[in-house]
Amino acid sequence: MTQSGKAVKLPVKNDLGFFEIRMESIGGLGANVAGKILTEAAIIGMGMNGAGFASYGSEKKGTPIKSFVRICEGGQQVRINSPVEEPHVLAIFHEALAKSVPVTAGVVPGKTVVILNTRRTPSEARDFLKLEGGKVGVVDAMEVAMATGSRVNMVMMGAIMKAAGFYEWKAVEETVLAQFGKKYASLMKSNMGALKRGFDEVTFEEFPVDGKYPATPFTREEPKLGYETAPIGGTIYSVGNMRFKDLSTSRTGTIPLFILDKCVRCGECDITCPDYCFVWEKGKDPKTGKDGMVLLGIDYQYCKGCLRCTYICKFDALVPAKEAEQDMDKITVKHKFLK
Amino acid sequence: MAQTAKKQSGRPAQTMVVQSGNEIAATAAKQINYHVMGYYPITPSTEIAETLDAMKAEGEHTIRMIPGDGEHGAAGISFGASTAGGRVFNATSANGLLFAFEQLPVQSGERFPMVFNIVTRAVSGPLDIRGDHSDIMLAMNTGWIILMAADAQAVYDMNVMAPKIGEEMSVRLPVMVAFDGFFTSHQKRRVEIFADDQVVRDFLGPFVPTVSSVDMKTPVTIGPYMNDPDQINNKKQQADAIVRSYDVIRKVFAEYEALSGRRYDLVEGYRMEDADAALFILNSAAETAKEAVDALRKEGLKVGLIRLNVIRPFPIEEVRALLKNVKGLVVADRQDNFGGWGGAMAIEVKAALQGVKGNATQVAARVYGTGGKEFFVEDAAAMLREAQDIAKTGTVPVPYAYFGANPGDPSFTPAKAFDPITEADASGLIRVETTPEGKMEVKGNVLRNLTERPKRIGPGHGACPGCGIFVNMNTFMKGIEGHVVILFHTGCGMVVTTGYPYTAHKITYIHNLFQNGAATLSGVVEMFAERKLRGEIPKDEKITFVMVTGDGGHDIGMGPSIGAAMRNHRMIICEYDNQGYQNTGSQLSFTVPLGQSTSTSNYGPHQHGKATHHKDTAQIFAACHVPYVCTVAESNPRDMIRKAAKAQKYADEGLVFVKMISMCPLAWKTEERMSVPIIQASVDSCFFPLYEVEHGITTLSYDPEEKGKKVPVTEWLKHMGKTKHMLKPDCKPELDRFQAEVDRRWVRLKEMHKNPLL
Repeated sequence: MTQSGKAVKLPVKNDLGFFEIRMESIGGLGANVAGKILTEAAIIGMGMNGAGFASYGSEKKGTPIKSFVRICEGGQQVRINSPVEEPHVLAIFHEALAKSVPVTAGVVPGKTVVILNTRRTPSEARDFLKLEGGKVGVVDAMEVAMATGSRVNMVMMGAIMKAAGFYEWKAVEETVLAQFGKKYASLMKSNMGALKRGFDEVTFEEFPVDGKYPATPFTREEPKLGYETAPIGGTIYSVGNMRFKDLSTSRTGTIPLFILDKCVRCGECDITCPDYCFVWEKGKDPKTGKDGMVLLGIDYQYCKGCLRCTYICKFDALVPAKEAEQDMDKITVKHKFLK
Repeated sequence: MAQTAKKQSGRPAQTMVVQSGNEIAATAAKQINYHVMGYYPITPSTEIAETLDAMKAEGEHTIRMIPGDGEHGAAGISFGASTAGGRVFNATSANGLLFAFEQLPVQSGERFPMVFNIVTRAVSGPLDIRGDHSDIMLAMNTGWIILMAADAQAVYDMNVMAPKIGEEMSVRLPVMVAFDGFFTSHQKRRVEIFADDQVVRDFLGPFVPTVSSVDMKTPVTIGPYMNDPDQINNKKQQADAIVRSYDVIRKVFAEYEALSGRRYDLVEGYRMEDADAALFILNSAAETAKEAVDALRKEGLKVGLIRLNVIRPFPIEEVRALLKNVKGLVVADRQDNFGGWGGAMAIEVKAALQGVKGNATQVAARVYGTGGKEFFVEDAAAMLREAQDIAKTGTVPVPYAYFGANPGDPSFTPAKAFDPITEADASGLIRVETTPEGKMEVKGNVLRNLTERPKRIGPGHGACPGCGIFVNMNTFMKGIEGHVVILFHTGCGMVVTTGYPYTAHKITYIHNLFQNGAATLSGVVEMFAERKLRGEIPKDEKITFVMVTGDGGHDIGMGPSIGAAMRNHRMIICEYDNQGYQNTGSQLSFTVPLGQSTSTSNYGPHQHGKATHHKDTAQIFAACHVPYVCTVAESNPRDMIRKAAKAQKYADEGLVFVKMISMCPLAWKTEERMSVPIIQASVDSCFFPLYEVEHGITTLSYDPEEKGKKVPVTEWLKHMGKTKHMLKPDCKPELDRFQAEVDRRWVRLKEMHKNPLL
């Protein structure tokens, strides 16, 4: 029952009676809190039932996470515990994730509304995500968050509410107040502003299944190394193979830019970089012509954008820059790993 | 899931909340207002202590919360507290439960009730933090009553009932409440709780001790030495008590139903009335499986489900009754009793059926969902169909099998990422010379040239942006020549550098457990030496052995590290001190300074952060009189590299201890890029002085006072979100005490620097 006394009906639900939301994000953008608020608002504020949870591992910032919300009508019990595979709303908080995570897995045209935090148009977003079809919404959540002094999650929540169609403002507002009101009362206005703008500014466009891109069904993970093929005891022989990972999704807009002309090859950057991005090789010093170690550039595959190096460099050879304004492929210098 | 009965007038008011299993366990504990909680952080149960600590800072309860030095310590604190006549609470998971294990039979055998929440998780190894039942099933035979909470509502209800069951005079046993890690512990669910804490307190009544270690009118001997022929009689008493608890549990469940309207039975049979095939499965997976039962019932299959609310005592009568007409049964266990032809429940169920006249139930044991592998409705449906086939044919073609394991792709070969680092690759950059006066001097300490040193950890690890651990490890390793074998304690550095089938380590790396890395590496070092002696390894082979721990690993692992120091093994122990258990969500460790806030030492009107001063590990090792102890900071990288080179040299004689201060942007709430100035402030404030102790002689490596750079501790604290409150007027007493302690330790160190005898 809502506060006005009406029982809320879900506009659509799956075979088990749920309306499901999946948020694709990186640790630190608040997708988990958004899931918590959307769950609580539906249950406490609107008399529904549901569950909110995330794909927990350890508590690392910048790593990909998924946040799930599962809502049903008030009289139903929630019995399943598995992650949301084919959501009604898929909200992608960080577009760079699409590079390394199958964020669109389980999107069903006609069922799933996809929302992307982006500056792109819906049509560009569809092409960027290579969606088979269906309804696509875009909102520049980063921009709105900065303008309102709030966070990405509030803007995305507003957009999710619009796509879901059954959320009541008062319920969400009161949950946000309960969540942040006590500790961060000063931020209430910013948060509500961001929520409202997310709701108002998300723009949708419907795309037919036109054969431009294939379907992206959800597939449950099957490890390539299994009980018949994995070395016993869990031993890994392919040492250092984390280098095959792409960590660029951990960045949130800013990168260090290397200016070769200003580099004096002091070696401080190689000390301060936690992610071992600096590519040093033996060679001729461009200034003195002497043999020695020379910094060639940055392997951005591993750069998480912490900007420690821009602080440590006393010679302005490493400066912060907006990633969107750079051709990353062009400025990346790759490590040479194998002899 | 409990059945919610219709509201009857006369029942106390309840409110609806949306909380996770962990939060609701904490809510119940707060309502009970236990006297004491002994605890130690471990995923996924840590949130219980965190939530209670945050509540305490706001004045919502008065539970005395004692952080243990490890789960063994936490269980000891709990046992001690329970002898002293009050209500005691604890929570843990997986290896935490195993580390506490030897305390469990003592708690039950000496008959002190308490409540222990077990947020079930896979036990190592390999290390897996996700939910299964391999921990709780190992604890099954320790004499505790074990309640199984299938969802968040049950977590609340069982936590309210647990003290009443264990404290009953005819029982007097400790009680575990077990619920599924992550599935139940971390899902936010709708839960009804009593609106007034007093309702819960009245339901339980005051704690009535049978024995008290602090009642001076009645002196007692607790825990006497007891051999045969007496011990068997103690066990008989204990066995009788847990048998009696069978009826007590039923009574308490009934009383609770009258109070709350929610009914629990020892066993829940779901659609079992006419079922000829069934699935026997516990906790959250059982809730999922009910959907499969409903779906198969729609197809006309007569299937049902059995789930236990209590596994100890095992509800033998109820299980027999439910299985009376069942012909095919699949018992699914989220763990394996290796070599026992099934998981714990499969064995228990088969034993329960032994000797039941006319019973025709055929049982198949299935091991599923270990290590937290997801369990879907389709999985349950497949098991139910198998039970149906067994019922039809009357035979069990495969009595014991794994469900959901993958054989792997035979055509897949993991790609080679690096060539092994050779001795030559990693040598010739730095050398240590001994002066005529016997002093060590390090040559070649040039940062530019040292960029040639192959990194022992490769890129691609998953640490948070700006993490200090990898800056410290890389800088330190620049000073180390040649082959290195590295061992990590459990912690951030370990979690982010391996994640099967990936590893960031290019050199040989070992992880064993959270606390016994120094013992483990001792074994490696000595085996290497012995095999060299026996000619199995070339005599000139040289390896530098390095152990890496966080400061938390040196709470729980202090004992093994001191043991290794006293044995003086040829190895280096590096402690990256990021001031807390950051891997599990920044709980306090003993190195956290007075007044600082962590997730288990919150700042609030009723609590001003951590109540005690920071631990001084470097001085502890100095007191072990090992050849070399030093402190290093990334703000002074050349100093760190110099000390690393010396450490390698000293490790030829014996054990070396290195303490590194390490910024954690996430927990310290600092700007990622600002690490160096923040670390510099910790050094310049003399909170983290840089010095070395060589054969007992202390030398300051950097004296901020002499250089005119000494600053008050506030210059460090002001940078960090976790310490901002310390600059507020209400924290002035804590700030003053902290400054005074830093100054006292600094003055003492300066005296040691001046006088080689100190």
